[in-house]
Amino acid sequence: MKRIAASLVVACLLLGASAFGQQITFSNRKATLKNISKVLEKQAGISLITTRATNAVIRPTAVHVKNVSVEQFLDAFFKDQPFRYEIIGDMVTIVPRENHSRIAPSQVTIRGKILNEQGEPIPAATILVNGSNKYTTTDDNGEFTLTGVDTNFNIVISSVNYEPRELNWQGESELDIRLKHRISELNIVNVVSNGYQKQTQAKATGSYARIDNELLNRRVSTNILERLEGVTSGLVFNKNVNPNTNQSTISIRGRSTIFANPNPLIVLDNFPYTGDINNINPNDVESITILKDAESASIWGAFSGNGVIVITTKKGKYDQPLKLSFNSNVTVGKKPDQYYLPMLDSKGFIEVEQFLFNQGFYDGQDASPFRPVISPVVEILLKIRNGELSEAEAESQLNLLRQQDKRDDVDKYLYRNSVNQQYSINASGGGNNNHYYFSAGYGKNLSNLKRNDYNRVTLTANNTVLWFKKAFELNTGIIFTETNQHNNNIGNISLTYPYLKLADAQGNALVIPSDVRQSYKDTAGGGQLLDWDLRPLDELKLSDNRFKQTEYRINIDAKLKIAKGLDAAVIYQYNRGFGEQNDFKSQQTYYTRNLINQYTEETPDGKLIYHVPLGGILDQLTTDYEAQNVRSQLNFNKSWFNKGKSKFHALTALAGVEVKRFEQEYETMRLYGYNKELQTSTDVDYETLYPLYHAPALTEKIPYANLRRTNTDRFVSYYLSAKYIFQRKYILSASARKDESNLFGVETNQKGVPLWSVGAAWEISEEKFYHVHWLPFLKLRVTNGYNGNVDKSVSAYTTAFKEGLKNVWGAPVGYIINPPNPSLRWEKNHMINFGVDFATKNTILEGSFEYYLRKGTDLIGNSPLDPTTGVTQFRGNTADLKGHGYDLVLRSKNINKQLKWLSVLLASYTTNEVTNYKVKQAAIWYYGDPNYISPVEGKPLYSIFSFKFMGLNPSTGTPIAYLDGDTSTIYSAIYGSNKLENLVYNGPANPTYFGSLRNTLSWKQLELSFNITWKSGYYFRRPSIEYFNLFFGGSMGHPDYEKRWQKPGDEKFTTVPAMVYPADQASQTVYAYSDVLVEKGDHIRLQDIQLSYDFVKNRNERKQPFIAFRLYVYANNLGIIWKANDKGIDPDYINSIPNSRTIAFGVRFDF
Amino acid sequence: MRMHFYFLFVTWCCLAGCNKSKFLDEKPRSDLFVPTTLEDFQLLLDNETIMNETPVLGEISADNFYTTFNFWQTLAVKEQFGYIWAPDIYRGEGNIGDWNVPYQQVFTANVILEGLPKIKVSSANEKHWKNTKGSALFFRAYAFHNLVQLFSPVFDESTAINDLGVPLRLRPNIEDVVSRSSVRETYQRIIADLSEATQLLEDVFHQNNRNRPSKAAAYALLARVYLSMGLYDKAGLYADSCLKRYDTLIDYNTLNSTTGRPFDRNFGEALLQSRLLSTTGLIKASTFVYCIVDSSLYNSYNDNDLRKLLFYQINNDGLPILKFGYNGSALGFSGLATDEMYLIRAECYARQGKKDQALADLNSLMQMRWKKDMFTPFTAATADEALNLILTERRKELPFRGLRWTDLRRLNKEGANITLTRILNGTTYTLPPNSRLYTLPIPPDVIQLGGIEQNIRE
Repeated sequence: MKRIAASLVVACLLLGASAFGQQITFSNRKATLKNISKVLEKQAGISLITTRATNAVIRPTAVHVKNVSVEQFLDAFFKDQPFRYEIIGDMVTIVPRENHSRIAPSQVTIRGKILNEQGEPIPAATILVNGSNKYTTTDDNGEFTLTGVDTNFNIVISSVNYEPRELNWQGESELDIRLKHRISELNIVNVVSNGYQKQTQAKATGSYARIDNELLNRRVSTNILERLEGVTSGLVFNKNVNPNTNQSTISIRGRSTIFANPNPLIVLDNFPYTGDINNINPNDVESITILKDAESASIWGAFSGNGVIVITTKKGKYDQPLKLSFNSNVTVGKKPDQYYLPMLDSKGFIEVEQFLFNQGFYDGQDASPFRPVISPVVEILLKIRNGELSEAEAESQLNLLRQQDKRDDVDKYLYRNSVNQQYSINASGGGNNNHYYFSAGYGKNLSNLKRNDYNRVTLTANNTVLWFKKAFELNTGIIFTETNQHNNNIGNISLTYPYLKLADAQGNALVIPSDVRQSYKDTAGGGQLLDWDLRPLDELKLSDNRFKQTEYRINIDAKLKIAKGLDAAVIYQYNRGFGEQNDFKSQQTYYTRNLINQYTEETPDGKLIYHVPLGGILDQLTTDYEAQNVRSQLNFNKSWFNKGKSKFHALTALAGVEVKRFEQEYETMRLYGYNKELQTSTDVDYETLYPLYHAPALTEKIPYANLRRTNTDRFVSYYLSAKYIFQRKYILSASARKDESNLFGVETNQKGVPLWSVGAAWEISEEKFYHVHWLPFLKLRVTNGYNGNVDKSVSAYTTAFKEGLKNVWGAPVGYIINPPNPSLRWEKNHMINFGVDFATKNTILEGSFEYYLRKGTDLIGNSPLDPTTGVTQFRGNTADLKGHGYDLVLRSKNINKQLKWLSVLLASYTTNEVTNYKVKQAAIWYYGDPNYISPVEGKPLYSIFSFKFMGLNPSTGTPIAYLDGDTSTIYSAIYGSNKLENLVYNGPANPTYFGSLRNTLSWKQLELSFNITWKSGYYFRRPSIEYFNLFFGGSMGHPDYEKRWQKPGDEKFTTVPAMVYPADQASQTVYAYSDVLVEKGDHIRLQDIQLSYDFVKNRNERKQPFIAFRLYVYANNLGIIWKANDKGIDPDYINSIPNSRTIAFGVRFDF
Repeated sequence: MRMHFYFLFVTWCCLAGCNKSKFLDEKPRSDLFVPTTLEDFQLLLDNETIMNETPVLGEISADNFYTTFNFWQTLAVKEQFGYIWAPDIYRGEGNIGDWNVPYQQVFTANVILEGLPKIKVSSANEKHWKNTKGSALFFRAYAFHNLVQLFSPVFDESTAINDLGVPLRLRPNIEDVVSRSSVRETYQRIIADLSEATQLLEDVFHQNNRNRPSKAAAYALLARVYLSMGLYDKAGLYADSCLKRYDTLIDYNTLNSTTGRPFDRNFGEALLQSRLLSTTGLIKASTFVYCIVDSSLYNSYNDNDLRKLLFYQINNDGLPILKFGYNGSALGFSGLATDEMYLIRAECYARQGKKDQALADLNSLMQMRWKKDMFTPFTAATADEALNLILTERRKELPFRGLRWTDLRRLNKEGANITLTRILNGTTYTLPPNSRLYTLPIPPDVIQLGGIEQNIRE
């Protein structure tokens, strides 16, 4: 017994699995080995290893125990058996009750290697000779030697995280054994990559979110990043992004910067991805890892402040037979709902035009020698006034217009259902010393806009070879992508009046007013000029705008084993991409005809001079980028025991240097008088001011659009990362990085602060004192460190910009864009992350909870500067920001029978607060204007601030607002005030709570899943009527017009101000930014539903050529289930039409 | 392929720890540069979109034109309220080009003036170096002068030491805190800079680069500065120095009066091309139609005076509106020209009692303005009479050039007693002579961020 206990202790320490605190209760009069095995499995998570031989000899025995230890329980069963038991790790083996350490000289020695499915060695696996107490463990190379073993015995191999395996030794001199990962949803088996190394999430201290292949493929999309939406903890897709305010479309754990780059770093395999994200074929992606905290991301230093998205592509595997896979799907999307965005209807719009006409508003335009556009309705009204049209005739014309709605024609003539197709085929496999992956993909998207389409071809080849006794590994990869795009349909932007029509009843294209007054166009030039009419439907046919992109990427990785546990790697990547946009506007297009006509000059003798030559116009935009990365890295990986084998240590470390060069050329070119066939063009005089044909008092130069620029990014980075594991349950990690670049100027780099992090984790459930049965897995983590952020727009020097265009005197010019800033520093982002990972028994419920604190210091900010300095805006390290939040992930097996019901709940909270921002905007209206970033100390960076709406003036219907403690209607004083107290803070403008609930139901081969997402804790400003903009053509109006104040008393039931002439921009601003137009953004959405059928080939069925196939249907953008606002606004789409519903059908074959 | 080898080589060098700074010295953008050479400075000086624009608020507040209520409503706030001389013309809106653009010029000049001592002067570049420094000093003085005309009270010897001038920023360092100097200090700085500039600038007139200052232009500006100060002896002296170097006048009879654009940017009388702020909503071609010339001004021209035809045209309503000015561009000319110098010299002669010399100058200018054979030379019995004639012709010769506001301030101070009135949407506004409203308020963002003292207007 003593001996058993001793070996037990050794075994426990060895495997770090001493969790036998479980109490077993069992009662059976005739307990068989099978019963015992089940109980052990269920109540203690221990497997019992049996062989047929032992099964036959073990007798059923009566066992009655209550709350006893595993040992006591086993003792009770084995006390009268011819066998006894021995516990090794989390396994129990049965040993004959005779001398168990006999070693006869005739016995043999077995050598072997234990590998995982990827062909990687498994260190510290246990090899046990079944039925004896003889065992050994593998070394770091997964190799083992068992000496003095009886022939014809089974050996059992086990290791944490792997399925135990038993096999019969049949005389092989060297065994090569593969172990399979335990099939579990527990995230502890996940392998996460940070772009520098791969590690199991179980031994990580940092915060990772991993999207595996299955989850990635649940969604159907052309763009890989879209597939992260709603399934990634802590990651949110921002909607209604305003490009003027430096918002990003994706944010991980909220916001870390103000004016610097707000986008997460995207890493493809080893290096930051510099190309167009659409060039990545999702079918080539194996998994995606999101690095969320300082520890996981700090290895990326100055690039990691916004989190990192690591995309890992598919590779072949060693010792795998050729596998072919084919995937194809078709996605059909509805037309976007043209009627979603509120628009003042034709009836209302005409009413407004009549009102303005009667006020004499259009008289100036009518008389203007510049011949501005006058709307069809106003032309009719003018004709009545001039007596050219009878009242009755005019009224019938107006009635016709009142019934027209431009959206009918837009929907009918400009849009269609979208159809996206994807085809992808890949082949992978590998032998002992090599593996490969080849793929080809083709996708074709017909967009919702007619005549706009996109297609993509991708080719991938990856090859890995092992040489010199597996000491040297060489990996080569080539990826090629070509995309072709047509952008011929610009949508409805030229339709500026709601009653315009695109086509007559016969479908013939109709003329709409544009640029120059139509009545003038009709007669101008007496027929000498080119046709001056704009017919959008014809334009759609004539448009010829193509965009072609080619990109390729070549990787060479070489890894050399230098010594045991130490290898050196050199990784090189060459990446190049070209893009060329050719927008050919033939002489038939309106753009060209209009430009030629405007720049036509009539000589006194009636001859025409075309300053813009006849012929087409070609606009060309080319981009060409080249990125090169080289990394030299040393990897150290060693684990060892102390002498008494009682202490286990493991150390992994890496250190390296990385150099990056990125160069991008950007060129735009315009050719006038372009002949597409001959590819010839005509020179024009860009310097002379020409009088415009329709307005000779105006003189303009011919538009010049030639530009060339090169951007260069260069980085030299040093990094270091290490992790130490003690007893498999205590983990310490640290990393550091220093970046130097050409962006700041060398002086600043020399002062550069290295960014670093430290982390620790403790697998508390591995401790002896841990006795919580229902929670067999519990791990605590904490990390602390700094990330950084890059801003390309700043420099330590006085920087000037050289203009492409010369001044009117023919001399080149430059201007200063950046005043000198010798104290410029890198932005720093401090993050502390606390995490708990847990799993209940049999992983019925598992998940993690993480809480983080973040603080951005030395943030680069644009701050208004006293204009007396000569600079109105200054960029420097001027701001601080802090935030905190949590991410919760819960996975549950609600039903786990033949019918399975799994749920995954993601819930995140994130908030931020500007803690230091010294500069205030000059007037408070800036805080309401969504086109400015106006940080306010103590409030989130993006906040909704409003004027306090105090009702409508009962006698005039104009808005009343709050000013300096009282109501006020002096609008210029209200919005011009600089006291923040005159504003109401409504709340954050971005969701603070968000998450998703994904339920998966499966029955046999059928699987149904649907994802519900929500966002809450934020506000948005809804649009309403803006009279000033409506009058001056800046807005199409809003149906709130119908609810406007019209007579005293209306103020009791409406908040929409009266229409007043002349319109007051100040009053409009006060109403538009008032709190009466602020709504809560909270909403719940049914994002998508997926249905699939999997067929796996029966082993006996030989006729089928495929191993497996899968049929799937995926419906996306299904719509809102609940929203807090009652205005019919989807808070994700305030000023845009929601993404249309799509449905995809697909099939995948594996051969 | 050689590129790649080179890159690998550089990488290797970096790994070896050498030549890294060279690798990182590469400019992030090809069109960016750190201005350090004379050529770089020339690029900055030649950026006429910054260096050759002047404030417009004075012209908007002056009495050369009026506009309609409808159009008035579409104007920017500062122009709306500047037009009716409201005490607060900004209503909280900042980013006022009338202040910011001159200070942008000061900043650019200061960057150059700070960079110049770092350039080694040799016989090969000495001329260029001096001319660059002279140009920078000229532009800085021009900017300060344009500012002081709007934002400080008119120069008065007795109070100038206490009257608030403008902040004199003399270094490009944005962290410097500079408060308002006195009016005296401001003018002293302007005069000192210009005097130095006259020593440094080349004595060549840039016929084809009239955006660049010359020695003649620096004297011209000195004349204009002294005139605005009411120091007529010196004004006359410097106008004379200017005219000694460049005195071209163009006979208007040689110009085409039927076109809307009778002048071009190489017009021979222009000593330095600059224009009223391009960001304005008034006094530019696209809004000429709304900018109706003051009827008493328009009617003051004799029908045989070609200026009536060359400066103005008649709109559809029969009202006089502007034509393109001395730059032939859509924006109002506000630069220096020889006609102004003749008028300054004439005025100063008259004020010195030199009647004949005054009339000679006036007549040599006016004979270029009248229709051929219709011109009879002006005569006057006394110097005062001559002065009146000259001031009347000055009013008629230089409208819409940003000079009238300065003249109103100067002449009212001397007792001209000119009251301005505007009628807008039925309301009449008046600006009494010597009103505090003649000193414009400093923009609110400047007050808030710079913490300088505001002008008292009420």
